[in-house]
Amino acid sequence: MSGRLPARPGEAIDRGRPLTIDFEGRRAPAFEGDTVGSALAAAGVTITGRSFKYHRPRGLMCMTGACPNCLMQIDGIPNVRSCTEPVREGMRVERQNAWPSVDRDVHGVLDSFSFMMPPGFYYKVFQRPRWAWSKVEPIIRKQAGLGKVPRTEDHEPREVVNLHADVAVIGGGLAGLAAAAEAAAAGASTVLLEQRREAGGRALGSADDVDRARLVAEAEASGARILLGTAAFGVFDGPVVAAVGGGGLQRIRARHLVFATGAVEQPAVFPNNDLPGVMLSSAVELLVNRFRVLPGRRAVVLTSNQDGYRAARTLRDAGADVFVVDLRAGAGSADGLRVIPGSTILSAKGRRGVTAVSVGAPGSATGQSIPCDLVVLAGFSAPSTNLLAMTGAKLGFDDDAQAFLPVELPPDVHAVGAVAGARTVQGAIAQGRLAGLEAAAAVGQEPPGAAGRMEVLRAQAAERGDPVVLPPEVATGEGKQFACLCMDVTSKELKAAAAEGFDSMELLKRYTTVSMGPCQGKACMLSAQRLCARAAGSSFAETRPTTARPPWTPVELGALAGWRRTPRKETTIHDLHADSGATFMWAGDWRRPHHFATPEQEVEAVRHRVGVIDVSTLGKFRVKGPEAVELLERLYPNRFGDLAVGRVRYGAMLNDEGVILDDGAVCRVGDDEFFVTVTTGNTAALERWITWWLADWRLDVRVLNVTGAFAALNLAGPDSRKVMSVLTDADVSSEAVKYMSASSFEVAGVPSLVLRIGFVGELGYEIHFPSMYGEHVWRAVMEAGRPFGIVPFGLEAQRVLRLEKQHILVGQDTDAESDPFEVGLGWMVKADKPDFLGRRALEDLAEAGPKERLVGFTCDPSWLPPEGASVVHEGVWVGRVTSARRSAAARSVVGLAWVPAGWAEDDTEIEIQFGGAHAKAKVALKPFYDPEGARLRS
Amino acid sequence: MTFLITCPNCGPREALEFSYGGEITRRAGPGSSSAELTGYLFFRENANGWQTEWWLHRDGCRMWFLAERHTFTNEIRRTYPPGSEPPVDAQAPEGAA
Repeated sequence: MSGRLPARPGEAIDRGRPLTIDFEGRRAPAFEGDTVGSALAAAGVTITGRSFKYHRPRGLMCMTGACPNCLMQIDGIPNVRSCTEPVREGMRVERQNAWPSVDRDVHGVLDSFSFMMPPGFYYKVFQRPRWAWSKVEPIIRKQAGLGKVPRTEDHEPREVVNLHADVAVIGGGLAGLAAAAEAAAAGASTVLLEQRREAGGRALGSADDVDRARLVAEAEASGARILLGTAAFGVFDGPVVAAVGGGGLQRIRARHLVFATGAVEQPAVFPNNDLPGVMLSSAVELLVNRFRVLPGRRAVVLTSNQDGYRAARTLRDAGADVFVVDLRAGAGSADGLRVIPGSTILSAKGRRGVTAVSVGAPGSATGQSIPCDLVVLAGFSAPSTNLLAMTGAKLGFDDDAQAFLPVELPPDVHAVGAVAGARTVQGAIAQGRLAGLEAAAAVGQEPPGAAGRMEVLRAQAAERGDPVVLPPEVATGEGKQFACLCMDVTSKELKAAAAEGFDSMELLKRYTTVSMGPCQGKACMLSAQRLCARAAGSSFAETRPTTARPPWTPVELGALAGWRRTPRKETTIHDLHADSGATFMWAGDWRRPHHFATPEQEVEAVRHRVGVIDVSTLGKFRVKGPEAVELLERLYPNRFGDLAVGRVRYGAMLNDEGVILDDGAVCRVGDDEFFVTVTTGNTAALERWITWWLADWRLDVRVLNVTGAFAALNLAGPDSRKVMSVLTDADVSSEAVKYMSASSFEVAGVPSLVLRIGFVGELGYEIHFPSMYGEHVWRAVMEAGRPFGIVPFGLEAQRVLRLEKQHILVGQDTDAESDPFEVGLGWMVKADKPDFLGRRALEDLAEAGPKERLVGFTCDPSWLPPEGASVVHEGVWVGRVTSARRSAAARSVVGLAWVPAGWAEDDTEIEIQFGGAHAKAKVALKPFYDPEGARLRS
Repeated sequence: MTFLITCPNCGPREALEFSYGGEITRRAGPGSSSAELTGYLFFRENANGWQTEWWLHRDGCRMWFLAERHTFTNEIRRTYPPGSEPPVDAQAPEGAA
């Protein structure tokens, strides 16, 4: 079967815009408006894939994205539902799950070995002998799964969008369109989500397009925001509706939710019901009326209501030869269709597609054989209650509908259309309009005259339609009867599992994997429930569907993960560093120079001449207010009340466990104003910490994070004063700018706060200034320092320099249990202060005394122990190295290590070990370089 | 998945904009016993129901405030700056803290 039917009004394809897709290396023609599935059907492709377990040929069945039959690898992406995927010029389309090809799949022999794969086969086979599993597993793994995972990284930008509305309507069928149109026209802000790229739902395939066209136009004119191609897949706390579409994840929060999710057409169960050519009426109507493809010339339609007659007429009018098999005795046709009443399909025959069906009375062993190439299953459906159930809605069995329908809804949740049991178009539309009006009124947007209209709509909404007759079970017959197409679960397997005691839906699902596949129960829940009921000896009404959980529609992991972005911060001097050839490293979110020349050269320059490092990344806080001193006295164990204006004090913050959180400089820049620096990577956490306590204590202080507002340089080395005197007119003599002072003056013409502190252990100036002048000041410093041989230095040199001084790095040398006594900062704890964070815990810690100490060590430079190396004693682990570097000044390896407190004495011999390497080391409690700090103070 | 929190400064916002600060605790300061100290440091009520807790409007005004949240339903009954506890509502649902 190939080619197109003559053009008709309302068709989806644009015959003026032909294009070509690449189908497994062949060129297949298509039109703009086609889906991959419709284009392939027009090209005569009847086998769209191979089934999951038995590799049976499968063809288009639903055309609505509800079943697993047409999953294909499209442009490298696996498991795309080709029946709803729009065609694009040149797209590469491949079928899945077959080798060497879908048309000739050698794995199809598995179909004959199904006796080896009983339900629960995963649990039963390969238990013994145990060694066999390792041989079999790789083969099974290769067989399992669908599609091929793309090997290239996904760089598609995917946004997460939050939408807020008065009313959100889920589902853009006729009922949903009517609800959105009413709510929006009344003045409520309204969002409509429709998973397909066109609104209209079940009416999309209808030969008569009047209702749909009118409602789409009305909804568009109403001002409702209509999101097409956006599939709601879950309802979460809030409630928040999560949907995929529009390039990412949409999170919709609305005051009222209207569920118009419709119903999913269901297949019937009979032998070989999975053959290509067995289709649902939705597929037939869409193919013929929208895409103008005739899927078969000799058709048998199985039905029990008007849907089947509509499909039969559509096929007849398109030129097919049609039989209608009606389950209802006494059924007939007013317009000349050939009807076989009181009958059902007993079985289908065929290998690569259906060639005949056997038709007879339910329960009979044999029937009349009717040759055909198309079987249409029409009018059996299951309401899509899953999303509704996620809101907490209660479902109950409805005899007329032969389905579980919502019987109790949470507040502000509405259900309309087929999901609520409507079985006529006019009833569904009335329900939609009514819910739209009710929701609008509830959010204060009741239009004039609404009460009267609602009265009329209520009467129309009560219209339900004829009771549903579902097809009977076929007891016998040759060939597999599939309940679940995704996972290849047959009715026989379900019965066997029920006989083994797995006789409830939840157990059956877990044991047989029924409804666990890509369709998530859309195309199998009805069959599975009814088979389960019969096998367990109960009724359909007593057999509830399994618990509804997200995702209801397939979601790409990328959509949930969102856009892959890595935060990256650069100082205002970054570009100059890059121009100087700096090698960068990550320091938290920051990019910082690791080195410019070599770390050794940089260390040498700082120790003997002068160097400069960009320390703009330091966390900086401005603390101002009448109770600023009080705040700092409580935050730090140090005393600050006696700190004079213009002076700096080194301090460490503790938590109430007495553990060191951070350290840095506290500068008093005014009577009630301080400038506080903290460690680069800790800034955000400390801002939270400080402002949290401030909120609790409610002191009259303002704390402002000014990290980004100020750039900072550390100019250090014996010649740094000479460089400073070039940069400023201010007096920078050791009397005017003393060690541990904070002075305000212009540097290179820029107002700056200059701290005379020395993390690297030399005469030095930490210059803070507005960050916009970063490049200007950096250039001026390099220029002024040139006669003195100034070099820029990076983090590695700084780490060597600070280690030679035994200055600790919080987080590197300390951990979540380190208290100030252990790291030699006991001097800063002023136990006579009434209170500070950690004071109570420190009382106990001081009394017990430290069990471990952080100490310096030196060892032979032939081996550099890595950070984390063990300190061992007689082969037993007693501590660890936290930092170690080669030091030119100490002519050895220098480092910091945790050791038992009793060993914290100069020259105690310790042994360091890592892997097979080890070295003898000696404890050194004083800094390795300038232990008296004379150079700092010079 | 997420819910709305009404920041006393900024109004209702997505919970993702906020950082959680944990349930309110009674700090064990100087003079407290070791049992009180460990209780404050390591033990929490972990209520299944209404709980008063700290929240920070991290991606907004950066204000720390208190919220009364139902830990099972995520319903938030009220939010307020510390030190301005509103009078207990006579209509407060059962189990109110």
